[in-house]
Amino acid sequence: MAAGVATNDWRTKSASQTRLAFGQALLELGAIDPDVVVLSADTQDLLGIREYIELYPDRFLEIGIAEQNKIGIAAGLATVGLKPYVCGYAPFVTARSLEQVRNDVAYANQKVVIGAAASGISLGVSGGTHHAVEDLATMRSFANMTVIVPADVDETYKATLASIDIDGPVYIRLGGRTLDPAITDPNGAFTLGKATELRSGNDVTIVACGVMVAMAVQAADALKAEGINARVLNMSTIKPLDTDALLKAAAETRGIVTAEEHHVTGGLGGAVAEFLVEHHPIKMRIIGLGDTFAAVGPTGPLRTKYGMSAENIAAKAKELL
Amino acid sequence: MTETREELIQRLEGKASGIRRNIWRALKASGTGHAGGSLSAADILAALYFYKMNVRPTEPDWADRDRFVLSKGHANAGLGATLALAGFVPDSYVESFYAMDSLFGMHPDIKCPGVEMSTGGLGHGLAVGVGMALGARIKGRSFHTYVMIGDGELHEGSNWEAAMAGAHYRLANLTAIIDSNKISQSARVAEVMGIEPLADKWRAFGWEVHEANGHNMTEVIDALDRIPYSRNKPNAFIAHTIKGKGASFAEDTYLWHQNAVNEEIFAKAIAELETV
Repeated sequence: MAAGVATNDWRTKSASQTRLAFGQALLELGAIDPDVVVLSADTQDLLGIREYIELYPDRFLEIGIAEQNKIGIAAGLATVGLKPYVCGYAPFVTARSLEQVRNDVAYANQKVVIGAAASGISLGVSGGTHHAVEDLATMRSFANMTVIVPADVDETYKATLASIDIDGPVYIRLGGRTLDPAITDPNGAFTLGKATELRSGNDVTIVACGVMVAMAVQAADALKAEGINARVLNMSTIKPLDTDALLKAAAETRGIVTAEEHHVTGGLGGAVAEFLVEHHPIKMRIIGLGDTFAAVGPTGPLRTKYGMSAENIAAKAKELL
Repeated sequence: MTETREELIQRLEGKASGIRRNIWRALKASGTGHAGGSLSAADILAALYFYKMNVRPTEPDWADRDRFVLSKGHANAGLGATLALAGFVPDSYVESFYAMDSLFGMHPDIKCPGVEMSTGGLGHGLAVGVGMALGARIKGRSFHTYVMIGDGELHEGSNWEAAMAGAHYRLANLTAIIDSNKISQSARVAEVMGIEPLADKWRAFGWEVHEANGHNMTEVIDALDRIPYSRNKPNAFIAHTIKGKGASFAEDTYLWHQNAVNEEIFAKAIAELETV
Protein backbone atom coordinates (compact mmCIF):
# COMPACT_ATOMS: atom_id res chain seq x y z
CA MET A 1 0.00 0.00 0.00
CA ALA A 2 1.34 3.37 -0.93
CA ALA A 3 2.32 5.69 1.89
CA GLY A 4 -0.08 8.35 0.72
CA VAL A 5 -3.01 5.97 0.79
CA ALA A 6 -2.12 4.41 4.14
CA THR A 7 -1.77 7.69 5.98
CA ASN A 8 -4.41 9.52 3.96
CA ASP A 9 -2.19 12.58 3.95
CA TRP A 10 -2.55 13.36 0.28
CA ARG A 11 -4.50 16.52 1.00
CA THR A 12 -1.70 17.92 3.15
CA LYS A 13 0.93 17.00 0.62
CA SER A 14 -1.05 18.60 -2.18
CA ALA A 15 -0.52 21.93 -0.42
CA SER A 16 -3.53 23.55 -2.11
CA GLN A 17 -2.09 22.97 -5.57
CA THR A 18 -3.93 20.83 -8.10
CA ARG A 19 -0.70 19.86 -9.87
CA LEU A 20 0.50 18.17 -6.66
CA ALA A 21 -2.86 16.50 -6.03
CA PHE A 22 -2.45 14.77 -9.42
CA GLY A 23 0.87 13.32 -8.25
CA GLN A 24 -0.71 12.23 -4.97
CA ALA A 25 -3.53 10.45 -6.80
CA LEU A 26 -0.94 8.59 -8.89
CA LEU A 27 0.33 7.04 -5.66
CA GLU A 28 -3.04 5.49 -5.06
CA LEU A 29 -3.47 4.44 -8.70
CA GLY A 30 -0.01 2.86 -8.67
CA ALA A 31 -1.05 0.83 -5.64
CA ILE A 32 -4.34 -0.43 -7.02
CA ASP A 33 -3.46 -1.03 -10.68
CA PRO A 34 -0.22 -2.74 -11.80
CA ASP A 35 -0.72 -1.42 -15.34
CA VAL A 36 -0.30 2.21 -14.33
CA VAL A 37 2.91 3.73 -15.77
CA VAL A 38 3.95 7.34 -15.17
CA LEU A 39 5.96 9.37 -17.69
CA SER A 40 7.81 12.62 -17.12
CA ALA A 41 9.49 15.14 -19.39
CA ASP A 42 11.82 16.43 -16.69
CA THR A 43 8.66 17.37 -14.78
CA GLN A 44 9.08 15.26 -11.63
CA ASP A 45 8.63 18.08 -9.13
CA LEU A 46 6.12 20.02 -11.19
CA LEU A 47 3.58 17.23 -10.69
CA GLY A 48 4.89 16.00 -7.36
CA ILE A 49 5.73 12.48 -8.42
CA ARG A 50 9.00 11.80 -6.55
CA GLU A 51 7.16 9.66 -4.00
CA TYR A 52 5.59 7.64 -6.83
CA ILE A 53 9.00 7.16 -8.44
CA GLU A 54 10.43 5.85 -5.17
CA LEU A 55 7.59 3.38 -4.71
CA TYR A 56 7.24 2.22 -8.33
CA PRO A 57 10.59 2.72 -10.07
CA ASP A 58 9.80 -0.01 -12.60
CA ARG A 59 6.63 1.77 -13.64
CA PHE A 60 8.14 5.18 -14.13
CA LEU A 61 9.77 6.47 -17.31
CA GLU A 62 11.74 9.70 -17.50
CA ILE A 63 11.71 10.74 -21.15
CA GLY A 64 13.65 13.96 -20.87
CA ILE A 65 12.72 17.32 -22.32
CA ALA A 66 11.03 15.84 -25.37
CA GLU A 67 7.24 16.14 -25.32
CA GLN A 68 6.65 14.67 -28.78
CA ASN A 69 8.60 11.59 -27.81
CA LYS A 70 6.83 11.34 -24.46
CA ILE A 71 3.38 11.26 -26.04
CA GLY A 72 4.40 8.78 -28.76
CA ILE A 73 5.95 6.47 -26.18
CA ALA A 74 2.84 6.74 -24.00
CA ALA A 75 0.70 5.69 -26.97
CA GLY A 76 3.00 2.72 -27.62
CA LEU A 77 2.76 1.67 -23.96
CA ALA A 78 -1.03 1.88 -24.14
CA THR A 79 -1.13 -0.50 -27.14
CA VAL A 80 0.53 -3.12 -24.93
CA GLY A 81 -2.24 -2.79 -22.32
CA LEU A 82 -0.53 -0.43 -19.92
CA LYS A 83 -2.19 2.73 -18.57
CA PRO A 84 0.20 5.63 -19.08
CA TYR A 85 -0.15 8.81 -17.02
CA VAL A 86 1.80 11.59 -18.66
CA CYS A 87 3.07 14.48 -16.56
CA GLY A 88 3.66 17.66 -18.48
CA TYR A 89 3.57 21.41 -18.70
CA ALA A 90 0.21 22.36 -20.23
CA PRO A 91 1.74 24.76 -22.79
CA PHE A 92 4.28 22.22 -24.06
CA VAL A 93 2.43 18.94 -23.81
CA THR A 94 -0.47 20.36 -25.81
CA ALA A 95 1.28 22.62 -28.31
CA ARG A 96 4.72 21.09 -28.87
CA SER A 97 3.32 17.57 -29.15
CA LEU A 98 -0.06 18.51 -30.58
CA GLU A 99 0.27 16.15 -33.56
CA GLN A 100 1.30 13.24 -31.36
CA VAL A 101 -1.69 13.85 -29.09
CA ARG A 102 -3.96 14.04 -32.10
CA ASN A 103 -2.62 11.09 -34.13
CA ASP A 104 -1.04 8.64 -31.70
CA VAL A 105 -3.44 9.18 -28.81
CA ALA A 106 -6.79 10.59 -30.01
CA TYR A 107 -6.98 9.21 -33.57
CA ALA A 108 -5.58 5.82 -32.53
CA ASN A 109 -7.87 6.06 -29.46
CA GLN A 110 -5.30 4.97 -26.90
CA LYS A 111 -5.91 5.21 -23.18
CA VAL A 112 -3.35 7.84 -22.28
CA VAL A 113 -4.06 10.27 -19.43
CA ILE A 114 -2.33 13.63 -19.71
CA GLY A 115 -1.83 15.61 -16.53
CA ALA A 116 -1.15 19.16 -17.70
CA ALA A 117 0.22 21.45 -15.01
CA ALA A 118 0.85 25.18 -15.25
CA SER A 119 -2.24 25.80 -17.37
CA GLY A 120 -3.76 29.15 -18.20
CA ILE A 121 -1.66 32.08 -17.02
CA SER A 122 -0.76 30.38 -13.75
CA LEU A 123 2.92 30.86 -14.57
CA GLY A 124 2.28 34.55 -14.96
CA VAL A 125 5.81 35.85 -14.67
CA SER A 126 7.11 33.27 -17.14
CA GLY A 127 5.43 35.10 -19.97
CA GLY A 128 3.57 34.00 -23.05
CA THR A 129 5.79 31.06 -23.94
CA HIS A 130 4.75 29.41 -20.69
CA HIS A 131 1.06 30.32 -20.71
CA ALA A 132 -1.41 27.70 -21.92
CA VAL A 133 -4.50 29.55 -23.06
CA GLU A 134 -5.36 27.47 -26.13
CA ASP A 135 -5.20 23.96 -24.68
CA LEU A 136 -8.93 23.53 -24.01
CA ALA A 137 -9.69 24.60 -27.58
CA THR A 138 -7.33 22.04 -29.08
CA MET A 139 -7.90 19.17 -26.69
CA ARG A 140 -11.68 19.29 -26.81
CA SER A 141 -11.65 19.47 -30.61
CA PHE A 142 -10.15 15.97 -30.77
CA ALA A 143 -12.63 13.13 -31.12
CA ASN A 144 -12.34 10.44 -28.42
CA MET A 145 -10.77 12.89 -25.95
CA THR A 146 -12.21 13.49 -22.47
CA VAL A 147 -11.34 16.91 -21.02
CA ILE A 148 -11.43 17.59 -17.29
CA VAL A 149 -10.64 20.85 -15.47
CA PRO A 150 -10.73 20.21 -11.72
CA ALA A 151 -11.56 23.22 -9.54
CA ASP A 152 -9.36 22.40 -6.57
CA VAL A 153 -7.17 19.81 -4.90
CA ASP A 154 -10.02 17.55 -3.77
CA GLU A 155 -11.62 17.46 -7.17
CA THR A 156 -8.25 16.84 -8.85
CA TYR A 157 -7.60 13.87 -6.61
CA LYS A 158 -11.03 12.37 -7.28
CA ALA A 159 -10.97 13.09 -11.03
CA THR A 160 -7.53 11.55 -11.41
CA LEU A 161 -8.69 8.40 -9.61
CA ALA A 162 -11.80 8.34 -11.81
CA SER A 163 -9.71 8.60 -14.97
CA ILE A 164 -8.51 5.01 -14.56
CA ASP A 165 -11.97 3.82 -15.62
CA ILE A 166 -12.30 6.07 -18.67
CA ASP A 167 -11.98 4.04 -21.86
CA GLY A 168 -9.93 6.38 -24.06
CA PRO A 169 -7.64 9.40 -23.87
CA VAL A 170 -8.06 11.94 -21.08
CA TYR A 171 -6.76 15.48 -20.61
CA ILE A 172 -6.67 16.76 -17.01
CA ARG A 173 -5.92 20.47 -16.74
CA LEU A 174 -3.99 21.51 -13.63
CA GLY A 175 -2.77 24.71 -12.05
CA GLY A 176 0.66 26.16 -11.58
CA ARG A 177 2.80 27.10 -8.62
CA THR A 178 0.11 29.28 -7.06
CA LEU A 179 -2.55 28.25 -4.55
CA ASP A 180 -5.79 26.83 -5.86
CA PRO A 181 -8.40 27.64 -3.18
CA ALA A 182 -10.58 24.79 -1.92
CA ILE A 183 -14.12 25.21 -3.19
CA THR A 184 -15.65 21.77 -3.77
CA ASP A 185 -17.34 19.61 -1.15
CA PRO A 186 -14.70 17.30 0.33
CA ASN A 187 -17.40 14.68 0.89
CA GLY A 188 -18.91 15.03 -2.58
CA ALA A 189 -18.23 12.63 -5.42
CA PHE A 190 -16.69 13.44 -8.79
CA THR A 191 -18.97 12.28 -11.57
CA LEU A 192 -17.55 12.50 -15.07
CA GLY A 193 -19.66 14.72 -17.30
CA LYS A 194 -21.73 16.12 -14.44
CA ALA A 195 -21.60 19.73 -13.28
CA THR A 196 -22.07 20.43 -9.60
CA GLU A 197 -24.21 23.30 -8.35
CA LEU A 198 -22.28 25.29 -5.77
CA ARG A 199 -24.83 28.10 -5.39
CA SER A 200 -28.48 27.93 -6.29
CA GLY A 201 -30.30 30.80 -7.93
CA ASN A 202 -32.76 31.63 -10.69
CA ASP A 203 -31.68 35.09 -11.85
CA VAL A 204 -28.51 34.31 -13.70
CA THR A 205 -26.09 31.37 -14.05
CA ILE A 206 -22.32 31.40 -13.78
CA VAL A 207 -20.65 28.40 -15.39
CA ALA A 208 -16.98 28.14 -14.44
CA CYS A 209 -14.10 25.72 -14.42
CA GLY A 210 -10.75 25.40 -12.70
CA VAL A 211 -9.54 28.23 -10.54
CA MET A 212 -12.38 30.44 -11.79
CA VAL A 213 -14.93 28.37 -9.85
CA ALA A 214 -13.86 29.91 -6.54
CA MET A 215 -14.16 33.37 -8.10
CA ALA A 216 -17.60 32.48 -9.46
CA VAL A 217 -18.74 31.62 -5.93
CA GLN A 218 -17.31 34.90 -4.63
CA ALA A 219 -19.15 36.72 -7.37
CA ALA A 220 -22.42 34.94 -6.54
CA ASP A 221 -22.06 35.80 -2.88
CA ALA A 222 -21.45 39.46 -3.76
CA LEU A 223 -24.48 39.46 -6.06
CA LYS A 224 -26.57 37.89 -3.30
CA ALA A 225 -25.82 40.91 -1.11
CA GLU A 226 -27.37 43.02 -3.87
CA GLY A 227 -30.43 40.78 -4.03
CA ILE A 228 -29.40 38.91 -7.16
CA ASN A 229 -29.56 35.13 -7.01
CA ALA A 230 -26.84 33.64 -9.17
CA ARG A 231 -26.57 29.92 -9.79
CA VAL A 232 -23.00 28.65 -9.90
CA LEU A 233 -22.16 25.53 -11.86
CA ASN A 234 -18.73 23.94 -11.55
CA MET A 235 -18.34 22.53 -15.06
CA SER A 236 -15.32 20.42 -14.30
CA THR A 237 -15.85 18.16 -17.30
CA ILE A 238 -15.57 20.22 -20.47
CA LYS A 239 -16.01 17.15 -22.63
CA PRO A 240 -18.43 15.46 -22.43
CA LEU A 241 -20.31 18.61 -21.45
CA ASP A 242 -23.20 18.43 -18.96
CA THR A 243 -25.81 19.58 -21.42
CA ASP A 244 -28.70 18.76 -19.08
CA ALA A 245 -27.40 21.25 -16.51
CA LEU A 246 -27.00 23.85 -19.26
CA LEU A 247 -30.52 23.35 -20.62
CA LYS A 248 -31.89 23.67 -17.11
CA ALA A 249 -29.90 26.84 -16.49
CA ALA A 250 -30.96 28.30 -19.81
CA ALA A 251 -34.60 27.57 -19.05
CA GLU A 252 -34.59 28.71 -15.44
CA THR A 253 -32.28 31.75 -15.45
CA ARG A 254 -32.02 34.87 -17.59
CA GLY A 255 -28.49 34.53 -18.89
CA ILE A 256 -25.25 32.61 -18.60
CA VAL A 257 -21.78 33.89 -17.79
CA THR A 258 -18.91 31.51 -18.39
CA ALA A 259 -15.54 31.96 -16.69
CA GLU A 260 -12.28 30.19 -17.50
CA GLU A 261 -8.56 30.87 -17.41
CA HIS A 262 -8.19 30.40 -21.16
CA HIS A 263 -8.48 32.34 -24.38
CA VAL A 264 -12.12 33.32 -24.98
CA THR A 265 -12.04 31.29 -28.18
CA GLY A 266 -12.76 27.61 -28.07
CA GLY A 267 -12.70 26.81 -24.37
CA LEU A 268 -15.49 26.40 -21.82
CA GLY A 269 -17.35 29.46 -23.12
CA GLY A 270 -17.09 28.18 -26.65
CA ALA A 271 -18.35 24.75 -25.67
CA VAL A 272 -21.32 26.18 -23.77
CA ALA A 273 -22.16 28.62 -26.56
CA GLU A 274 -21.92 25.98 -29.28
CA PHE A 275 -24.42 23.84 -27.45
CA LEU A 276 -26.87 26.52 -26.38
CA VAL A 277 -26.99 28.35 -29.69
CA GLU A 278 -28.46 25.22 -31.22
CA HIS A 279 -30.62 23.99 -28.36
CA HIS A 280 -31.65 26.95 -26.23
CA PRO A 281 -30.24 30.31 -27.34
CA ILE A 282 -29.78 32.65 -24.42
CA LYS A 283 -27.80 35.78 -23.62
CA MET A 284 -24.24 34.97 -22.66
CA ARG A 285 -21.01 36.59 -21.55
CA ILE A 286 -17.71 34.76 -21.98
CA ILE A 287 -14.98 35.63 -19.50
CA GLY A 288 -11.39 34.69 -20.27
CA LEU A 289 -8.31 36.09 -21.91
CA GLY A 290 -9.27 38.20 -24.93
CA ASP A 291 -7.53 38.00 -28.27
CA THR A 292 -4.11 38.84 -26.92
CA PHE A 293 -1.11 37.18 -25.34
CA ALA A 294 -1.05 37.97 -21.65
CA ALA A 295 1.63 40.26 -20.27
CA VAL A 296 4.23 39.21 -17.74
CA GLY A 297 3.08 39.61 -14.17
CA PRO A 298 2.19 37.96 -10.88
CA THR A 299 -0.62 35.50 -11.54
CA GLY A 300 -3.30 37.00 -9.29
CA PRO A 301 -3.10 40.58 -10.54
CA LEU A 302 -2.60 39.29 -14.07
CA ARG A 303 -5.91 37.43 -13.91
CA THR A 304 -7.62 40.61 -12.69
CA LYS A 305 -5.99 42.67 -15.46
CA TYR A 306 -7.63 40.48 -18.08
CA GLY A 307 -11.03 40.30 -16.40
CA MET A 308 -10.64 36.93 -14.78
CA SER A 309 -11.90 38.12 -11.40
CA ALA A 310 -14.94 37.82 -9.14
CA GLU A 311 -15.66 41.51 -9.70
CA ASN A 312 -15.81 41.12 -13.46
CA ILE A 313 -17.92 37.98 -13.23
CA ALA A 314 -20.43 39.87 -11.08
CA ALA A 315 -20.39 42.85 -13.44
CA LYS A 316 -20.98 40.69 -16.51
CA ALA A 317 -23.74 38.78 -14.70
CA LYS A 318 -25.57 42.06 -14.06
CA GLU A 319 -25.42 42.93 -17.76
CA LEU A 320 -27.65 39.93 -18.43
CA LEU A 321 -30.46 40.94 -16.06
CA MET B 1 10.68 -31.73 -43.57
CA THR B 2 12.65 -28.60 -42.79
CA GLU B 3 13.10 -25.90 -45.34
CA THR B 4 16.61 -25.43 -46.71
CA ARG B 5 18.10 -21.95 -46.95
CA GLU B 6 17.63 -22.00 -50.73
CA GLU B 7 14.00 -23.06 -50.38
CA LEU B 8 13.40 -20.35 -47.80
CA ILE B 9 14.85 -17.66 -50.04
CA GLN B 10 12.84 -18.90 -52.98
CA ARG B 11 9.66 -18.95 -50.89
CA LEU B 12 10.21 -15.42 -49.59
CA GLU B 13 11.00 -14.11 -53.06
CA GLY B 14 7.69 -15.58 -54.13
CA LYS B 15 5.97 -13.79 -51.24
CA ALA B 16 7.66 -10.51 -52.16
CA SER B 17 6.40 -10.94 -55.69
CA GLY B 18 2.92 -11.64 -54.29
CA ILE B 19 3.11 -8.46 -52.18
CA ARG B 20 4.11 -6.43 -55.24
CA ARG B 21 1.25 -7.94 -57.19
CA ASN B 22 -1.16 -6.98 -54.40
CA ILE B 23 0.27 -3.46 -54.30
CA TRP B 24 -0.49 -3.02 -57.99
CA ARG B 25 -3.94 -4.56 -57.53
CA ALA B 26 -4.66 -2.04 -54.76
CA LEU B 27 -3.41 0.88 -56.83
CA LYS B 28 -5.42 -0.22 -59.82
CA ALA B 29 -8.55 -0.52 -57.66
CA SER B 30 -8.13 3.03 -56.31
CA GLY B 31 -6.68 4.37 -59.56
CA THR B 32 -3.74 5.88 -57.69
CA GLY B 33 -1.41 5.47 -54.75
CA HIS B 34 2.11 5.41 -53.40
CA ALA B 35 3.80 2.82 -55.59
CA GLY B 36 7.43 3.85 -55.06
CA GLY B 37 7.76 3.56 -51.29
CA SER B 38 5.51 0.51 -51.10
CA LEU B 39 7.53 -1.41 -53.70
CA SER B 40 10.87 -0.51 -52.08
CA ALA B 41 9.64 -2.11 -48.83
CA ALA B 42 8.18 -5.29 -50.35
CA ASP B 43 11.14 -7.66 -49.87
CA ILE B 44 11.61 -6.63 -46.24
CA LEU B 45 7.88 -6.97 -45.56
CA ALA B 46 7.99 -10.48 -47.04
CA ALA B 47 10.91 -11.50 -44.83
CA LEU B 48 9.26 -10.02 -41.72
CA TYR B 49 5.76 -11.43 -42.13
CA PHE B 50 6.59 -14.80 -43.71
CA TYR B 51 9.77 -15.61 -41.84
CA LYS B 52 11.02 -13.45 -39.00
CA MET B 53 8.01 -12.15 -37.10
CA ASN B 54 6.14 -14.24 -34.60
CA VAL B 55 2.55 -13.42 -35.54
CA ARG B 56 -0.78 -15.24 -35.80
CA PRO B 57 -2.89 -13.89 -38.67
CA THR B 58 -6.04 -15.52 -37.29
CA GLU B 59 -5.33 -14.13 -33.81
CA PRO B 60 -4.07 -10.62 -34.60
CA ASP B 61 -4.34 -9.41 -30.98
CA TRP B 62 -2.31 -12.29 -29.51
CA ALA B 63 -0.45 -10.62 -26.63
CA ASP B 64 2.99 -12.05 -27.38
CA ARG B 65 3.04 -11.24 -31.10
CA ASP B 66 5.94 -9.29 -32.53
CA ARG B 67 4.98 -5.72 -33.39
CA PHE B 68 5.46 -3.94 -36.69
CA VAL B 69 4.86 -0.20 -37.02
CA LEU B 70 4.91 1.35 -40.47
CA SER B 71 6.16 4.80 -39.58
CA LYS B 72 6.34 5.69 -43.29
CA GLY B 73 2.58 5.32 -43.32
CA HIS B 74 2.16 6.40 -46.93
CA ALA B 75 3.49 2.95 -47.91
CA ASN B 76 0.30 1.39 -46.54
CA ALA B 77 -0.41 -0.18 -49.93
CA GLY B 78 2.62 -2.34 -49.15
CA LEU B 79 1.47 -3.17 -45.62
CA GLY B 80 -2.09 -3.92 -46.70
CA ALA B 81 -0.79 -6.06 -49.56
CA THR B 82 1.22 -8.04 -47.00
CA LEU B 83 -1.58 -8.38 -44.44
CA ALA B 84 -3.89 -9.75 -47.14
CA LEU B 85 -1.29 -12.20 -48.41
CA ALA B 86 -0.62 -13.37 -44.85
CA GLY B 87 -4.31 -13.82 -44.10
CA PHE B 88 -4.86 -11.09 -41.50
CA VAL B 89 -7.57 -9.73 -43.78
CA PRO B 90 -9.41 -11.35 -46.68
CA ASP B 91 -8.00 -11.07 -50.19
CA SER B 92 -10.87 -8.73 -51.09
CA TYR B 93 -9.32 -6.17 -48.71
CA VAL B 94 -6.75 -5.42 -51.42
CA GLU B 95 -9.49 -4.20 -53.75
CA SER B 96 -10.95 -1.93 -51.04
CA PHE B 97 -8.01 0.51 -51.21
CA TYR B 98 -9.35 4.08 -50.79
CA ALA B 99 -12.95 2.84 -50.89
CA MET B 100 -15.69 4.52 -48.80
CA ASP B 101 -15.58 3.27 -45.17
CA SER B 102 -12.66 0.97 -45.97
CA LEU B 103 -10.08 0.16 -43.31
CA PHE B 104 -7.53 0.24 -46.14
CA GLY B 105 -6.83 3.89 -46.77
CA MET B 106 -3.71 5.67 -47.86
CA HIS B 107 -2.32 5.33 -44.33
CA PRO B 108 -2.53 2.50 -41.76
CA ASP B 109 -5.54 2.43 -39.43
CA ILE B 110 -5.19 0.67 -36.08
CA LYS B 111 -8.74 -0.61 -36.46
CA CYS B 112 -7.57 -2.92 -39.25
CA PRO B 113 -6.52 -6.41 -38.07
CA GLY B 114 -2.74 -6.62 -38.03
CA VAL B 115 -2.15 -2.86 -37.95
CA GLU B 116 -0.41 -1.93 -34.70
CA MET B 117 -0.66 1.87 -34.91
CA SER B 118 -2.35 4.46 -37.06
CA THR B 119 0.40 6.35 -38.83
CA GLY B 120 0.69 8.89 -41.60
CA GLY B 121 2.14 12.02 -40.05
CA LEU B 122 5.84 11.36 -40.44
CA GLY B 123 8.24 10.92 -37.54
CA HIS B 124 5.72 9.26 -35.19
CA GLY B 125 6.42 5.54 -35.46
CA LEU B 126 9.74 5.21 -33.68
CA ALA B 127 8.51 6.83 -30.45
CA VAL B 128 5.50 4.52 -30.50
CA GLY B 129 7.88 1.60 -31.08
CA VAL B 130 9.98 2.70 -28.11
CA GLY B 131 6.78 2.65 -26.06
CA MET B 132 5.94 -0.87 -27.27
CA ALA B 133 9.45 -2.12 -26.48
CA LEU B 134 9.35 -0.52 -23.03
CA GLY B 135 5.87 -1.99 -22.59
CA ALA B 136 7.21 -5.45 -23.37
CA ARG B 137 9.83 -4.98 -20.67
CA ILE B 138 7.35 -3.71 -18.06
CA LYS B 139 4.86 -6.48 -18.87
CA GLY B 140 7.56 -9.15 -18.94
CA ARG B 141 6.84 -10.12 -22.53
CA SER B 142 9.47 -11.26 -24.99
CA PHE B 143 8.10 -9.88 -28.24
CA HIS B 144 10.22 -7.79 -30.59
CA THR B 145 9.16 -4.46 -32.08
CA TYR B 146 10.07 -3.45 -35.64
CA VAL B 147 9.56 0.08 -36.92
CA MET B 148 9.99 0.84 -40.61
CA ILE B 149 11.04 4.41 -41.32
CA GLY B 150 11.65 6.11 -44.64
CA ASP B 151 14.99 7.81 -45.18
CA GLY B 152 13.31 11.07 -46.13
CA GLU B 153 11.20 10.72 -43.00
CA LEU B 154 14.38 11.04 -40.97
CA HIS B 155 14.18 14.78 -41.62
CA GLU B 156 11.61 14.86 -38.82
CA GLY B 157 13.44 15.65 -35.59
CA SER B 158 11.07 13.52 -33.51
CA ASN B 159 12.86 10.42 -34.88
CA TRP B 160 16.01 11.50 -33.12
CA GLU B 161 14.23 12.10 -29.82
CA ALA B 162 13.02 8.50 -30.05
CA ALA B 163 16.47 7.26 -31.09
CA MET B 164 17.92 8.88 -27.98
CA ALA B 165 15.31 7.20 -25.77
CA GLY B 166 15.80 3.79 -27.40
CA ALA B 167 19.48 3.89 -26.56
CA HIS B 168 18.94 5.38 -23.10
CA TYR B 169 16.69 2.46 -22.18
CA ARG B 170 18.95 -0.09 -23.94
CA LEU B 171 16.11 -1.49 -26.01
CA ALA B 172 17.68 -4.50 -27.70
CA ASN B 173 14.08 -5.64 -28.30
CA LEU B 174 13.56 -2.78 -30.77
CA THR B 175 14.65 -2.58 -34.41
CA ALA B 176 14.41 0.43 -36.66
CA ILE B 177 14.38 -0.57 -40.31
CA ILE B 178 15.34 2.30 -42.55
CA ASP B 179 13.87 1.80 -46.00
CA SER B 180 16.58 3.87 -47.63
CA ASN B 181 15.30 4.30 -51.16
CA LYS B 182 17.09 7.67 -51.40
CA ILE B 183 14.08 9.54 -52.79
CA SER B 184 11.29 11.49 -51.10
CA GLN B 185 8.22 13.16 -52.56
CA SER B 186 9.81 15.88 -54.64
CA ALA B 187 13.43 14.93 -55.26
CA ARG B 188 16.36 12.87 -54.05
CA VAL B 189 16.65 12.97 -50.25
CA ALA B 190 20.22 14.22 -50.52
CA GLU B 191 18.99 17.25 -52.45
CA VAL B 192 15.96 17.97 -50.28
CA MET B 193 17.92 17.82 -47.00
CA GLY B 194 21.02 15.73 -46.63
CA ILE B 195 20.91 12.95 -44.02
CA GLU B 196 24.37 11.40 -44.48
CA PRO B 197 26.41 10.02 -42.86
CA LEU B 198 23.35 8.01 -41.86
CA ALA B 199 24.95 4.94 -40.26
CA ASP B 200 27.26 7.18 -38.25
CA LYS B 201 24.29 9.17 -37.01
CA TRP B 202 22.56 6.06 -35.68
CA ARG B 203 25.79 4.85 -34.11
CA ALA B 204 26.33 8.24 -32.49
CA PHE B 205 22.82 7.97 -31.05
CA GLY B 206 23.78 4.65 -29.44
CA TRP B 207 22.31 2.16 -31.89
CA GLU B 208 24.02 -0.90 -33.35
CA VAL B 209 23.85 -0.64 -37.12
CA HIS B 210 23.72 -3.25 -39.88
CA GLU B 211 23.52 -2.28 -43.53
CA ALA B 212 22.34 -4.51 -46.36
CA ASN B 213 20.77 -4.57 -49.79
CA GLY B 214 17.05 -4.47 -49.06
CA HIS B 215 16.20 -6.36 -52.23
CA ASN B 216 18.63 -9.24 -51.84
CA MET B 217 16.63 -11.79 -49.84
CA THR B 218 19.74 -13.55 -48.60
CA GLU B 219 21.04 -10.28 -47.20
CA VAL B 220 17.66 -9.28 -45.77
CA ILE B 221 17.28 -12.61 -43.95
CA ASP B 222 20.81 -12.35 -42.66
CA ALA B 223 20.19 -8.79 -41.41
CA LEU B 224 17.06 -9.91 -39.56
CA ASP B 225 18.65 -13.09 -38.20
CA ARG B 226 21.53 -11.14 -36.68
CA ILE B 227 19.11 -9.21 -34.44
CA PRO B 228 19.92 -8.34 -31.71
CA TYR B 229 23.07 -6.85 -33.15
CA SER B 230 24.41 -6.33 -29.63
CA ARG B 231 23.32 -7.21 -26.11
CA ASN B 232 22.03 -3.91 -24.86
CA LYS B 233 21.57 -1.50 -27.74
CA PRO B 234 18.61 -0.99 -30.05
CA ASN B 235 19.10 -2.21 -33.62
CA ALA B 236 19.17 -0.12 -36.78
CA PHE B 237 18.88 -2.05 -40.03
CA ILE B 238 19.64 0.32 -42.87
CA ALA B 239 18.20 -1.33 -45.96
CA HIS B 240 19.46 0.13 -49.20
CA THR B 241 16.53 -0.05 -51.56
CA ILE B 242 15.23 1.27 -54.86
CA LYS B 243 12.06 3.29 -54.97
CA GLY B 244 9.54 1.58 -57.23
CA LYS B 245 11.51 -1.68 -57.23
CA GLY B 246 10.19 -4.33 -59.58
CA ALA B 247 8.60 -2.06 -62.17
CA SER B 248 11.31 -0.73 -64.47
CA PHE B 249 9.28 2.34 -65.45
CA ALA B 250 8.81 3.34 -61.78
CA GLU B 251 12.26 2.65 -60.41
CA ASP B 252 14.48 5.27 -58.79
CA THR B 253 12.37 8.31 -59.55
CA TYR B 254 10.35 10.72 -57.45
CA LEU B 255 7.77 10.72 -60.24
CA TRP B 256 6.52 7.42 -58.85
CA HIS B 257 6.24 8.54 -55.24
CA GLN B 258 2.51 8.79 -55.80
CA ASN B 259 0.95 8.27 -59.16
CA ALA B 260 -2.13 7.31 -61.12
CA VAL B 261 -2.42 3.66 -62.14
CA ASN B 262 -4.61 2.59 -65.05
CA GLU B 263 -5.20 -0.78 -66.73
CA GLU B 264 -2.26 -0.31 -69.06
CA ILE B 265 0.23 0.48 -66.31
CA PHE B 266 -1.15 -2.35 -64.20
CA ALA B 267 -0.70 -4.84 -67.06
CA LYS B 268 2.84 -3.63 -67.64
CA ALA B 269 3.74 -3.95 -63.96
CA ILE B 270 2.25 -7.43 -63.61
CA ALA B 271 3.97 -8.59 -66.81
CA GLU B 272 7.32 -7.49 -65.36
CA LEU B 273 6.63 -9.33 -62.10
CA GLU B 274 5.84 -12.50 -64.02
CA THR B 275 9.02 -12.46 -66.05
CA VAL B 276 11.23 -12.32 -62.94
